Amino acid sequence: MATAGGPSDRPLQGGADGDGGHPGSELAVELRGITKRFPGVVANRDIELSVRRGEVHAIVGENGAGKSTLMKTLYGMHRPDEGTIVVDGRETVFRSPADAIAAGIGMVHQHFMLADNFTVLENIVLGSEPTRGGRLDMVEARRRINGISARYSLGLEPDALVEELGVGDRQRVEIAKVLYRGARTLILDEPTAVLVPQEVDELFRNLAELKREGLTVIFISHKLDEVRRVADSITVIRRGTTVGTADPKTTTVKQLAELMVGTQLPTPATRESTVRSTVVLRMEGATVRNADGRALVDDVHLTVREGEVVGIAGVEGNGQAELVDAIMGLRPLSSGTLTLGDDDISAWSTRARREAGIGLIPEDRHRQGMLLEAPLWENRILGHQTRPPAVKGPFIDRRGARADTQRIMSEYDVRAPGPDTLAVALSGGNQQKLIVGREMSASPRLLLAAHPTRGVDVGAQAVIWELLKDARAEGLGIVLVSADLDELIGLSDTLHVMLRGRLVATVDPGAVTPEELGGYMTGARTAAGAA
Amino acid sequence: MGRARRIGLALLGPALALVVALVISGLVIAAIGENPFAALEVITNLGDTPAAQVQSIVVILNRAVPLFLAGLAVSVAFRMGLFNIGVEGQYRLATILSAAVGAAVNLPAPVHVLFIIVVAMLVGAFWAGIVAVLKVTRGVSEVISSIMLNFVALGLAGYLLTGPLKGSPEGAGIVTTAEIPESGRFPDLTGVLTGLGLEEPRSELFGFLVVAVVVGIAISVLLSRTRFGFDLRATGLSPSAATASGVDTRRMVITTMLISGAVAGLIGLPDLLGSDYEYGTEFTAGLGFLGIAVALLGRNSPIGIALAALLFGVLDRAAPLLQFEDIPASVVTIIQGTIVLAVVVGNEIARRLARRSAERAGAAATGAPPDAGDGGGGGGPDLPGGPDGGQRTYTGVPGQPEGVRP
Repeated sequence: MATAGGPSDRPLQGGADGDGGHPGSELAVELRGITKRFPGVVANRDIELSVRRGEVHAIVGENGAGKSTLMKTLYGMHRPDEGTIVVDGRETVFRSPADAIAAGIGMVHQHFMLADNFTVLENIVLGSEPTRGGRLDMVEARRRINGISARYSLGLEPDALVEELGVGDRQRVEIAKVLYRGARTLILDEPTAVLVPQEVDELFRNLAELKREGLTVIFISHKLDEVRRVADSITVIRRGTTVGTADPKTTTVKQLAELMVGTQLPTPATRESTVRSTVVLRMEGATVRNADGRALVDDVHLTVREGEVVGIAGVEGNGQAELVDAIMGLRPLSSGTLTLGDDDISAWSTRARREAGIGLIPEDRHRQGMLLEAPLWENRILGHQTRPPAVKGPFIDRRGARADTQRIMSEYDVRAPGPDTLAVALSGGNQQKLIVGREMSASPRLLLAAHPTRGVDVGAQAVIWELLKDARAEGLGIVLVSADLDELIGLSDTLHVMLRGRLVATVDPGAVTPEELGGYMTGARTAAGAA
Repeated sequence: MGRARRIGLALLGPALALVVALVISGLVIAAIGENPFAALEVITNLGDTPAAQVQSIVVILNRAVPLFLAGLAVSVAFRMGLFNIGVEGQYRLATILSAAVGAAVNLPAPVHVLFIIVVAMLVGAFWAGIVAVLKVTRGVSEVISSIMLNFVALGLAGYLLTGPLKGSPEGAGIVTTAEIPESGRFPDLTGVLTGLGLEEPRSELFGFLVVAVVVGIAISVLLSRTRFGFDLRATGLSPSAATASGVDTRRMVITTMLISGAVAGLIGLPDLLGSDYEYGTEFTAGLGFLGIAVALLGRNSPIGIALAALLFGVLDRAAPLLQFEDIPASVVTIIQGTIVLAVVVGNEIARRLARRSAERAGAAATGAPPDAGDGGGGGGPDLPGGPDGGQRTYTGVPGQPEGVRP
């Protein structure tokens, strides 16, 4: 279907009324009363969505609000139980993504689906190769790809190998793939999640080009400031249904966020200080190097006291993950010392550190925090293999583990059928609550919380914040790494900024604004208060 | 999800595989112009007289015992995500050395047998240990090194047999090691059969069956009831999560391979101590590779492996009998081969069904879509399946952070 009639010409027809960034009033996509149920759960309910031709339309909502389900419906990956999809004024039924593509709707997935060892050109034509007399017509393919690249300023190099491309370039290849198949409406699922700020700017320039050529972009995100920068209109989804639309020019981020959450935003703010004088963790001159000898964590001095939350702010990839690994014993220190209470634990194994009272809420719970294909009671044991109540001597105490899992489930509001449920069956928030409950149950002295509320719903977020606050009040020392600046400012007693492996600034969480913090994080500001 | 349903799903894979394999094998037999139902008749018919039937059962059990041990050896490593293809080399080397050592010493009966068993386990563990050490120190894939060590082991065994450990007279047709004396032989269980009122079979039932059962129970308890087993399974499910939980994955690789190798060392002993009493050029080969198939079919659970070993025993018994029906004995190999292929596919299908049904159960209870990490509803691409139908997402030393050098 994509090869017929030169799809690269199609956008012009649609773009007749969409030039100069002035969206026409004609609707490119309309969803009416879409409801999609999965066994036991309504993922989407009465969705109403109108996307005008030639605009960038953002769909925002919390994780788990139903954005992805909605987009899968629109892309034909499953069929809605109720409601209609109208494309270009015609009611349509999509049985598969192929139908959606035929109707001019293309999807750029969050996780790229490219063959690394193929060239850009091969990747783009893969699956809809132009043929002449039964043979691949690479000349024609190249001509059309160059046409697409020039028209939308994508800057593609058809002969470059995909494995040699950066993330931003790969994303452009994905966009080109969709355009090559004749899409006039592009769905971008969390496209900025994998990009660094410069690449985000580049992407937004590309989107402006697409819009200028009359294409429609549906942009899914939960990053509200980005949405306000790029979108012409915004639809907000909350708990599976559309709760309203907003004009990005007149709506503030805070208003958008409250629309998303439905109530006043829960605040992570802690009230009075509970910091005691006893030092739980002292890190002195800690340095972690990679195989090339580059310092990922560079001469870090850090002190955590009982009842203190020490926040680490920073753009991701500036050494925070390595810092957590180093404290946990997952990466060796190349120099420096680490003291827990009175013990020098620099050379201790991860298990010894856990037994000494370090708990971990890992950054990536699927990779480091859970056994997805194991039942919850086995996940209860994970990380606590040497301690009761789940273990008796060298043996696993199955009954004890099940009972304690049941206790965690009720105390920490983990919603699951029972301790024998596989962890994979739980939503992100419930998985995270189980992890928090598990780590707290061992009554640690020091808790490493890396992005503790990432990818969990607002309700779970509030619960987790409360748990951290309670634990802090009881004297737990917490190292909090987060990308959520409000969370950092709200929870931290002490707040350090990490940049290129160093702690470059220490700020007062009571006084600093997110904007100032952002300045330190990018290195635009430098501070006298450096640790 | 009910227990019955879960067990049903667990049995679905192998059952499906078996049916598919039988259909394909039937088609092959039909294609060479023979009657597939006649073949099935031969395979399932244990004999017409009670004596023949007992004899058949003894043959099947005697064949199943080494297969069971081979499957166990492979499965221990599998459970941790390690693919020990070197079981073949490990047992061959263990058998020849323990045969030679057993023939060379003279000890009282129970100690002599025990001594031979210990030697065999040590040799198997040593040979598997090389693979483990290469993996944790140099990052060599255990698949590559264990295959390579198979060649070394077979070459070494051949050299030892014709050279230093040769015990058969000069010019004999079959080269063997020296015969193990009476005190080093494992008593047979024929007495138990006759004691049960059965006819006395022509062959003797290997006493090593008892050892195999004990080892099976020990491994089963070790894996599912102990902390060590939990660490091992956790590492198999997710090396990164296991490392973060405090498991020293390098030590686990070494320990697991040593256990796998030690069990592998036992594979040759039922034949060695039960009927052959010497290792020679005619000694049963290929058990290590069949062990991989048995472990796959048994889904790495000791009971499953026992059933799979019995099934393979039934098929092997039928191999010579098929020729009386003008059906080539290699039909059995075809059936076994197609079972392995089908079981890999079947296990993966069953795994996805189990996962999906778990997700549904979870969603039903919580009202929130599960966070499966791949797009929730199973619509996204799944992680690549491992050799055991489980997930296998790493190739290096498990848990070793990228870029860290020992």
